[in-house]
Amino acid sequence: MSGSDLLDRRLVVVTGKGGVGKSTVAAALATLAARRGKRVLVAEVDARERVAPMLGGRPSGPVVRQVLPHVSTVNVDPRHALEEYALMVVKVRAIYQAVFENRVVRFFLRAVPSLAETLMLGKILHEARSESGGKPRWDLVIVDAPATGHAVQLLGVPKALLDTVPAGPLRRDAQWMQALLTDPARTSVVLVSLPEEMPVSETVELDAQVRDILGLPRGPVFVNAMPDARFTPEEQERLRGLTGSEPPVGPAARAAVLQAGRQERAAEQVARLREALGRPLVTLPLLATERWGRRAVERIADAMEGRV
Amino acid sequence: MGALLRSLSDKRIAVVVGSGGVGKTSLSAAIALSRAMDGGRVLVCTIDPARRLASALGLASLGNTEARIPDEAFARAGLAPKGELHAMMLDVKRTWDDLVARHAPDAATRDRILGNRIYQQVSGALAGSQEYMAMEKLYELSTERDYDLIVLDTPPTAHALDFLEAPDRILDFVGNETARKLFAPAIGAGRFGARLVQLGTGYAAKILSRFTGSDVLHDIGEFLGQFQGMYDGFKERASAVRTLLTRPEVGFVLVASPSPLSVDEALYFHDHLRTAGMPIAGSVANRVTPDLWPFPGALPTQEALGDALGPAGDGGGDLPARLHRTLSENQAFAHADARELERLRRGASGAHVAVPQLEGDVHDLSGLAELSRHL
Repeated sequence: MSGSDLLDRRLVVVTGKGGVGKSTVAAALATLAARRGKRVLVAEVDARERVAPMLGGRPSGPVVRQVLPHVSTVNVDPRHALEEYALMVVKVRAIYQAVFENRVVRFFLRAVPSLAETLMLGKILHEARSESGGKPRWDLVIVDAPATGHAVQLLGVPKALLDTVPAGPLRRDAQWMQALLTDPARTSVVLVSLPEEMPVSETVELDAQVRDILGLPRGPVFVNAMPDARFTPEEQERLRGLTGSEPPVGPAARAAVLQAGRQERAAEQVARLREALGRPLVTLPLLATERWGRRAVERIADAMEGRV
Repeated sequence: MGALLRSLSDKRIAVVVGSGGVGKTSLSAAIALSRAMDGGRVLVCTIDPARRLASALGLASLGNTEARIPDEAFARAGLAPKGELHAMMLDVKRTWDDLVARHAPDAATRDRILGNRIYQQVSGALAGSQEYMAMEKLYELSTERDYDLIVLDTPPTAHALDFLEAPDRILDFVGNETARKLFAPAIGAGRFGARLVQLGTGYAAKILSRFTGSDVLHDIGEFLGQFQGMYDGFKERASAVRTLLTRPEVGFVLVASPSPLSVDEALYFHDHLRTAGMPIAGSVANRVTPDLWPFPGALPTQEALGDALGPAGDGGGDLPARLHRTLSENQAFAHADARELERLRRGASGAHVAVPQLEGDVHDLSGLAELSRHL
């Protein structure tokens, strides 16, 4: 996939190592899709909610809430996902309460392997295929997925169920979930990385897991917080000689040498990632912003414009 | 030796905790390396699936058993440790299997549990399973080996507290009284032939089977039945682990990056550790941007920089402007970091250290040695 049609998918799953800026990329993708007139839902997975606050709104909690004209968010948690799912099956709230408010059964349901993950993923995928008035309810559902290991666990749920669960309602759910997840026309898994050694190594491994273990369609790989090449080699040479100078030149030269060193190491890591993955990367600028608000997200979305 | 290493110097166990991506793995290895340099026999145990520790130690891979870092690897890094450094990666599934083998009354029960589908899910994928096994392994290592120090690099949990609560939650599951009652007919009917007909006397079981299919219920009944006899053993062990973690020879190390979310998480964890009576050795703020303008007065303007550089410094015309921007950005990062650092210092007890952003990633023994100089 070239990446140019990423936002035409129905489901975009954003994952990567912890702390690489997944929520920022998810929020920026949502912003970009909204600029193109799409109705977007961003789903966080049992997280301390970040996307809605980044977009200038209040946290949504477990109920879908609109934060911007075209963007809604939700923080999916197992308990509410269970309630919604159960009500779809049982239909009558009184029966649901009789059965599911019972501590015995709640325990039991938690005990069913990966049921929490199944319910959360089921809730998200249900949103991705739900319709109202003959039209899809959302043009695009973006999942701000958990970090590497937990994301593989979450996305691997339908396949694991298909491997282990005999015929029954759970298996039928696993089947449609897996069909949606593996359909390259509807779904894309995008990875977020940083231009640093360990995140790059982990991204390369995660990419292989998405391909070989999960078998899911892979979208572009975003490299967050990329410093810009700001000083020529000659300038760097000269500035290195000035780091011991009196202020103001000394401190400024030290800042410049640090920046240039970061940039050089980052560029090496980006090259390594590009070579290992064998496909283009989308680099996003390092912003000197102290607070990750809507303005910063808009700037990241600007940087994505024309590239996804 | 820095404040953190000093506060760990009389500890036998260091548990390194913090949210994902803050550098726990490298810091764990650096703590371990430092004690090994001073003559200790040290083990660092990681659960990290990305094999970061292996690459940092210059090993191709790490297994479920302890491997000693060879002298040649130290020699290549110009290091001559007085002690020994060992490393291992926790294999969650293997640790579960060992635990079952330890507690099973006989080989037949052990094999039936190991073959049960529910058990396979629990040991492989159940949330909290990694955390539980990390604690279990720590207990095993600390009671059955004679390391001077064991450093545990904890899993990158979404919520740091998972680590503390996981054993209780998992034990609640495998030994749940109420669930066992629900399945009493199946358990009573023998370990093999339970059918939903036997379970399904309860209304709840009937409704549940609509979600999961009856075979899953059957598997769970069988699983709970088999675990019943072993539950007390598991429970005793988990309680021993908890007790171990409150002993003074243990030190928790909180790791945070200087970002609001990461510091929040560390402080949250700190307060819960305290409530649980677990000793806190200190906190690390990792990758802190240096303050390059610790002077009174505003940052220099680009004109001031241009004047100071002189006419020859005017390369391409806008070098002063770029320098001005670079210094301003550095200071913006540095000030934001300093605020978070201060919050961590005020909120957390024990030693406090700040590790500056180092040149390059830590990816070998000399990098780890350099890192330990900041601890």
